[in-house]
Amino acid sequence: MAAAPARAAGRADAVAALALLWLLVCAPGNAGCHPLTVADLFDRVIRHSGRIHSLSTALYAELEKHFPPRDNELGRPARKCHTSGMLTPNGKEYAQKIPREELTHVILKLLQAWKEPLSHFNQHIEHHQELPDDSLSKAKQISNMVHELKTGVEKVTEKARFFLQVELLFLFPIQMQSMGIISNSLNGMASSEGTGLSISNEANMMSDSDFIHCFRRDSNKVQSYLKILKCRIMPENSC
Amino acid sequence: MKQRFISSVQIIFQLALTTVGLTGQSYPGKPQIIRCRSLEKETFSCWWKPGSDGGLPNNYTLFYSKDSEEKIYECPDYLTSGPNSCYFDKNHTNPWTTYIITVTATNEIGSNSSDPQHVDVTSIVQPDAPVNLSLETNVSANLSYLWAKWSPPPLADASSNSHVYHYELRLKPEEKEEWETVSVGMQTHYEVSSLKAGVKYSVQVRCMLDLGEWSEWSSERSIQIPKEQLPPEKPIIIKCRSPEKETFTCWWKPASDGGLLTKHTLLYSKEGEEKVYECPDYKTAGPNSCYFDKKHTSFWTIYNITVRATNEMGSNVSDPHYVDVTYIVQPDPPVNITLELKKSIKRKPYLVLTWSPPPLADVRSGWLTLEYELRLKPEEGEEWETIFVGQQTQCKMFSLNPGKRYIVQIHCKPDHHGLWSEWSPEMYIEIPTDFRVKDMVVWIIVGVLSSLICLIMSWIMIMKGYRMMAFILPPVPGPKIKGIDTHLLETGKSEELLSALGCHGFPPTSDCEELLIEYLEVEDSEDQQLMPSHDTPSKNTKIMLKETDSDSGRGSCDSPSLLPVKCRESRSLPSALQTQDVRAKEKKGGKGSWDTRCMASEQKTLPCESIKTCTWLAAQLPSNQAAMFAYHSTVEAFKITLNTTNVNNSPVLVGNEENHQSLYPIAETVYDDVEKVSEMEYSKTDQTTVQVRQNEHSNKSPFLNPKLMDYVEVHKVRQDEEPTLLLKHKENSGKTKKCTVPGTSKEYTKVSTVVDHHILVLLPDQRSQNTPVSQEPVAETSQNPQQSQAEKNTSYSTTTPSDSRRDTSGSDYMDPSSFMPSFK
Repeated sequence: MAAAPARAAGRADAVAALALLWLLVCAPGNAGCHPLTVADLFDRVIRHSGRIHSLSTALYAELEKHFPPRDNELGRPARKCHTSGMLTPNGKEYAQKIPREELTHVILKLLQAWKEPLSHFNQHIEHHQELPDDSLSKAKQISNMVHELKTGVEKVTEKARFFLQVELLFLFPIQMQSMGIISNSLNGMASSEGTGLSISNEANMMSDSDFIHCFRRDSNKVQSYLKILKCRIMPENSC
Repeated sequence: MKQRFISSVQIIFQLALTTVGLTGQSYPGKPQIIRCRSLEKETFSCWWKPGSDGGLPNNYTLFYSKDSEEKIYECPDYLTSGPNSCYFDKNHTNPWTTYIITVTATNEIGSNSSDPQHVDVTSIVQPDAPVNLSLETNVSANLSYLWAKWSPPPLADASSNSHVYHYELRLKPEEKEEWETVSVGMQTHYEVSSLKAGVKYSVQVRCMLDLGEWSEWSSERSIQIPKEQLPPEKPIIIKCRSPEKETFTCWWKPASDGGLLTKHTLLYSKEGEEKVYECPDYKTAGPNSCYFDKKHTSFWTIYNITVRATNEMGSNVSDPHYVDVTYIVQPDPPVNITLELKKSIKRKPYLVLTWSPPPLADVRSGWLTLEYELRLKPEEGEEWETIFVGQQTQCKMFSLNPGKRYIVQIHCKPDHHGLWSEWSPEMYIEIPTDFRVKDMVVWIIVGVLSSLICLIMSWIMIMKGYRMMAFILPPVPGPKIKGIDTHLLETGKSEELLSALGCHGFPPTSDCEELLIEYLEVEDSEDQQLMPSHDTPSKNTKIMLKETDSDSGRGSCDSPSLLPVKCRESRSLPSALQTQDVRAKEKKGGKGSWDTRCMASEQKTLPCESIKTCTWLAAQLPSNQAAMFAYHSTVEAFKITLNTTNVNNSPVLVGNEENHQSLYPIAETVYDDVEKVSEMEYSKTDQTTVQVRQNEHSNKSPFLNPKLMDYVEVHKVRQDEEPTLLLKHKENSGKTKKCTVPGTSKEYTKVSTVVDHHILVLLPDQRSQNTPVSQEPVAETSQNPQQSQAEKNTSYSTTTPSDSRRDTSGSDYMDPSSFMPSFK
């Protein structure tokens, strides 16, 4: 029963992956394709993240329909997302203050943090017989798209680094240090930093709808950061 | 008796008059005591109503007596209780006495007294209403009380305040009619309980002494009983909104306060935190709102917001409101909306809309991306047409109905999530009426003008186009002779006839022209001296010459166009018959020696032959001999038709050549005319075929000299053929010499004289350059047989040169009217 949606999702993934692959392969100077500007690449990843966000919103609504919150959860209880421990800018000014490299890193880290839990979630959700195939395929699609988005963002930032001739640091310890410094200046930012392992464990502890809710939020974060990043790197491009 | 009665009536009348006269000033009316009242049983007052004053100032006096005494007293105090009253103070008041009171009104004429009034002081006691009623509400232990206080009625005598009153209080809810009356007792205050909260009550008081009547109700007082005092109800958080994705504001609806001052506090906690904060700013966003500035606004965090309403009785908390600021972004409407009409290349107007994002939204940072949607409708329309524009800030609208006024509005929304803004204020734009309509007008004008021009052109063509038509199509013969009014002919008014025939009446001049060219016959005799002058220049010949000459002229004037048509028509049968007839006649008479008809042998003249016959037919001469005449000479026909006076005789004359004598004068008369006509003909002809034939009829006409019979017949046949001169001599009878003399031909246009009644002397055309000067003398000496004979010998060259004719061709179109007078 789950095979068909899986196939459908697989096809969709393939298409998306191809698109992204083309995006990645087509580097400037490559005669085979029209040279893509960094702005174009940014637009693509922004659109990609937007699609992920839309998908997760739809999936969240479906999950809420099938798994209504329990009676004691009046309204929405304070959810503990497994990524809520990460230091992320929670407002425009912070997102603009933080160095570009760090913002890029935050994006990548967020995406990275969701890769494994999403694949777990996919395996887990397939056991829900009552879920429609559509939801399952959405979940699968989201998982793949996050992977692609991560690759895309890496590529874009790489290009952007060329573009800016700025060294992009991928060293995590340094990142953490700088983030720590920033976190002191950020108001209302979560201070605890969990490890990858603990994040996964937390994700497993959550309910399905909470999980997607958290993911939806993070996908929105990623999209917002990408937009900010784009306008910071290329302020002249429709910003 | 009668007189007495009358006098008595008079007296009565007079009395009546006097009484009437006196009524102006009479006794005062009867006053009336209205009431007597004691406020406190110690004093009392009485009031009266004055009667009619009788027209004079009245004095009122109150007298009273006591039941115990006989003595009558007057009122002790008229002033204290006001006008028309009497106040009895304590000294004059005895509670246990009955007073008998009367009021007397007095004036100059007399006095009048009221009915006596018996007054028992104790029975007339009625105090005034209590005063200074005041109300208060008091709330104690959740119950409302009404506290009413008042004062006893004031008295004139301040010293007597020791009276004890009984009081009554009545109250009702303001909107109701029924009063609830409460007996208060002697105290001047009262507390009402068990009142309905939130109702407004009206309260009145009255009082009474231990005896007597109740006073009036005091003036009414009202008071609002406060509502039940409870803890406030739950406030409701209406909404939270972030206009620019940086700050946000929450609004709530305050709870009912229960009549007490209620304070609202907004409390919030953020996701993952236990700590509860209070609203940082109640003021910025107005009453009942809380503004979260940038510092207090976090994204991707859920705010748990509650509003607590607190008063003395307690507090109440709203339901929690969960807010993720990312999803409550609702921008302001776009601003700087401009509508501009532009014209495309095809001149179709289109609308260009431009706008700016709301000023608060910082779209440049990428933090907030807006999408726009616009809607428009015709002003009178019902349904909006909504167009999603995306992120661009301008839009072009095509295919708008011209002449309509449109309302346009725009709103915006953050991409992917958030809410649409309010619609922007309505913008109006009027689409001008289609430019094509103007074009249409222009085109219509152009069309009308061009069609008008076409009309005029075609009209001109019709008016003048016969000529052109004639070239294109074969000439259509006009009903020239046929159409002649025979009556006119009979009456002999040739002028009228001619005018009727006038060139316009005739077939077009071009046709005239053609005919002229085609059927010119010239009898060349003496002029060319073909005919020997010495040969008896008989009158006959002369006449004939004239006839022939006139023939040529006649040909021109004879509406020529008719002829060929007639020919064609009649060629089949009638022409043949007639020609046969003619020939028969010829043979019979033998006198028709002047065979002026065209020779059948000559192709060119063939039509002529028939023409002549036809012409005769057409002429429809009354005379039987007409055909003959025609045969002999068309000139005759012409004469007959055109000159009725002359023609009347001429056919006869010509018909019988034996009667030349009689014919002669007629021919003479024709003479001048013919001259002219011939002239004209020649001028008109382009190419002429001149047939000169010698008459072979010498044998047939015994009285004619064979030489005389020699003549030249010149036929102008057709334009397109070469001029040919056929000279026929008697000697060469049976043979026809055909000479084409294009260059050296001569033109004989004038008939100089008629010799011997049957020789016509022709003059060469003077205008033609080829005309030798010597011809004039020839013409002059035409009478001379020698000369004429000499000329005869050179008759070969009598054809007029085509060149010369051509020279004159264009200029001398013949207007028949020019020779009309000559036919008189």
